[in-house]
Amino acid sequence: MPTYNFKSIQVVPPAKDFIDIVLSKTQRQTPTVVHNGWQITRIRSFYMRKVKHTQTTWHDKLTQILDDFPKVEDIHPFYGDLLNVLYDRDHYKLALGQLNTARNLIDKLAQDYIRLVKYGDSLYRCKELKRAALGRMCTLMKKQDASLKYLEQVRQHMSRLPSIDPAGRSLLLCGYPNVGKSSLMNRLTRADVEVQPYAFTTKALYVGHLDYKYLRWQVLDTPGILDRPLEERNTIEMQSVTALAHLRASVLYLVDVSEQCGYTLAQQAALFHSIKPLFTGKPVIVVANKVDARPLDNLGPEEQALMQGMASEAARASGADPADCLMSMSALSETGIAEVKTAACERLLAHRVEAKVAGKRITDVLNRMHVALPKPRAGAAKPRPPVIPPGVAEARARRDAGEKRRTERDAQEEAGGAGVYSADMRKQYDLKDPAWRYDIMPEIFEGHNIADFVDPDIDAKLAELEREEEELAAAHDAEMAALAEGVEELGSDEEADLAAIRKKKKELVTAHRIRKAAAGNRPVMPAKHGSRGDKTVGRMRESLGALGIDTSAAEARLRSESRGRKRARSAARGGEGGDSEMADADGGAAGGAPAKKRVHSSKSRSMSRGRALSTAPPTPSSGLKDAAQRNKAVKMADRGQRLRNKAARAGEGDRVIQTKMPKHLFSGKRGMGKTDRR
Amino acid sequence: MRIDKCWFCSSAIYPGHGITFVRNDATAFKFCRSKCHKNFKMKRNPRKVRWTKAYRKLAGKELAEDATFEMERRRNRPEKYDRELVKKTVQAVEKISGIRKKRQDRHHERRMARAKAGQVAQDKAALEQQIHLIRAPASLRAKAKDAPAKEKVKVAAEQRAGDAMQE
Ligand SMILES: Nc1nc2c(ncn2[C@@H]2O[C@H](COP(=O)(O)OP(=O)(O)OP(=O)(O)O)[C@@H](O)[C@H]2O)c(=O)[nH]1
Ligand SMILES: [Mg+2]
Repeated sequence: MPTYNFKSIQVVPPAKDFIDIVLSKTQRQTPTVVHNGWQITRIRSFYMRKVKHTQTTWHDKLTQILDDFPKVEDIHPFYGDLLNVLYDRDHYKLALGQLNTARNLIDKLAQDYIRLVKYGDSLYRCKELKRAALGRMCTLMKKQDASLKYLEQVRQHMSRLPSIDPAGRSLLLCGYPNVGKSSLMNRLTRADVEVQPYAFTTKALYVGHLDYKYLRWQVLDTPGILDRPLEERNTIEMQSVTALAHLRASVLYLVDVSEQCGYTLAQQAALFHSIKPLFTGKPVIVVANKVDARPLDNLGPEEQALMQGMASEAARASGADPADCLMSMSALSETGIAEVKTAACERLLAHRVEAKVAGKRITDVLNRMHVALPKPRAGAAKPRPPVIPPGVAEARARRDAGEKRRTERDAQEEAGGAGVYSADMRKQYDLKDPAWRYDIMPEIFEGHNIADFVDPDIDAKLAELEREEEELAAAHDAEMAALAEGVEELGSDEEADLAAIRKKKKELVTAHRIRKAAAGNRPVMPAKHGSRGDKTVGRMRESLGALGIDTSAAEARLRSESRGRKRARSAARGGEGGDSEMADADGGAAGGAPAKKRVHSSKSRSMSRGRALSTAPPTPSSGLKDAAQRNKAVKMADRGQRLRNKAARAGEGDRVIQTKMPKHLFSGKRGMGKTDRR
Repeated sequence: MRIDKCWFCSSAIYPGHGITFVRNDATAFKFCRSKCHKNFKMKRNPRKVRWTKAYRKLAGKELAEDATFEMERRRNRPEKYDRELVKKTVQAVEKISGIRKKRQDRHHERRMARAKAGQVAQDKAALEQQIHLIRAPASLRAKAKDAPAKEKVKVAAEQRAGDAMQE
């Protein structure tokens, strides 16, 4: 159920202000600094963001306006027609439609320009594209100025419309101008509508509220209506007609019987008959006003007939008794106002209930309702007297006999009064045996809380536990026997072996740790190339002997292969594998010349020049196989030591200004001429 | 008056001992001594602290699940006092705790026996797999092949082992 309150529509600024708002928002909310030196992608996204942001702002603002204004089709027909009467439906819809179109155009335009900026090749071009985009958006909106201004006026007017609930209970006052509608309104409610002795004092709908039967009623004061064709009616009258046509209210048609308003009774009756179609299906009461100036009895017979004619028409339109449809009152002397109010409200209530009962929704309510009507039981003849327990009957008898019950207060008074007497709670204990009342319950026993063991069926549980215990004990014995059987203890020599193994392991671990600690960060030399000092025959015999291996055969083989010092020199020449190639080359080139003189294969090299790399074999403990390997190692070490320009400091390849301030340019006295010439 | 359990180590707290911490959600934590209290404040989990009952039970070092524990339970539904029932209960306390003691002893015995068996198996495996540390495989093979050679080798090896031990 929508509420009709148009006060919350936001202000619609005129085009100029609107443009300022949107552009300054873009300016404030997007970055403003851009540099030529930026990457082109960054520049593009900078401008794309501007265009996009402007477009979003326009879009949001326009959407806000379009959502705020009610759609004529969606609201209650009363308001729909009221909008039509007041603001011209076509104009209203056109204005909103134009804003909608402008919104779509701006969206599309922004999309196009963003695509263009995406391919902009310079800051300048991107900027121009952005300018064009924003400019076109603003031009578009500038053209909507008329619509915006119109909408703003509509908004201001709408915010002042009375908030009428079209579905609520309402009383509607209508009649010729100046008949006293506003006076009655002021009497009925706390509204303060202007009352003046000239026509068309009230120019719009007014709403006031009153309470009747604890319900809230709205009273609508309408502008006066003149008796003329619908097309000729002006906006002021049309508001009344709209209210009459669309609101299911109780209509009070006011008639000025004194004719002070300037219209005759006949004219007022004619108006009633011409707007009669608007009354069908509504409770209508013809109210004769200003009876203080001219009582109803003073009316002539034609006038009486006119009044009766109106009353019978009203009765026909609303389906009621003609006598109920004619009432008299005076807003000035306040006579008959309460009666008119009561009658109008009662008629409307009855009418609404009728409408509800006639409608479809009543079945929903009936389906959910059930009224229970209890029937007397079959054997109801049998009397069912109240049951009084014998104990109660006894107590009552004692009480009737004059016996007084002894209360705790009596005990207190006897024992010395309040503060001295302390009530004994235990005597009230409700136990199986009253003798237990003063028992002292043990709480702790052998490190256990007795309360934790209390259980009504402890016997059964204990028996079960003991039975289980026997089974468990038997099972345990069996298991232990099986375990003992399975385990075969170690013999004494096995124990000794085990001890030796453990000792050996411990030694190994210790030795390894020492070695590791001593090694520090130095590279570990493979054992193959390590110092040979400890690899002696004696040691081999000792360690392998300990493992139970006979080393005599190995020792004998070693002895047979070892050489005496004497043979070593003569055999050295042929035995050296590393020099054999060079020796061959020497042989080919110089025939019988001593091989050791020639070292280089190339003759271009001076013999007097020192060698970059040594040709001498590496020392045995260096861990290197031969001279080639050693030279490779030296080269690698050299390369490793070469400093790379890691810190990217100035190098010889860099441009350099040798002297920042050449002496000859900066010293000496200046004579004539400029400072940059000498 | 009752004997409470320490929240941390599960030991008994007799009236007048220990300290109670009441958290702002009204949970009461009782501690038998400052050691347990401090451990709690350090946010230690008693299941991960080796000296607590919770750890020992979780690790299978102590009897954890048993009917005797079921019979000693904090009861939140009060029973009406009954002299006969209390008499029976007091007698039952002795019986139940005696049975529990026996079961705990058996648990320990079983645990020890199993550990022993496991240790022996381990020792045997070590003897099998690491014998090469004290005796070369070649010598072992030789020993397996011919008894006289084995005798000689073995004596030498044992001598060596003995020397090593004296070092
Ligand atoms: N004597 C007399 N004068 C009344 C009575 N009710 C209203 N008037 C006068 O009639 C004049 C018009 O009253 P309004 O209440 O302004 O009449 P209206 O129907 O609201 O007029 P519009 O708003 O112009 O349509 C005022 O001067 C009132 O004082 C009445 O009961 N008796
Ligand atoms: Mg008026």
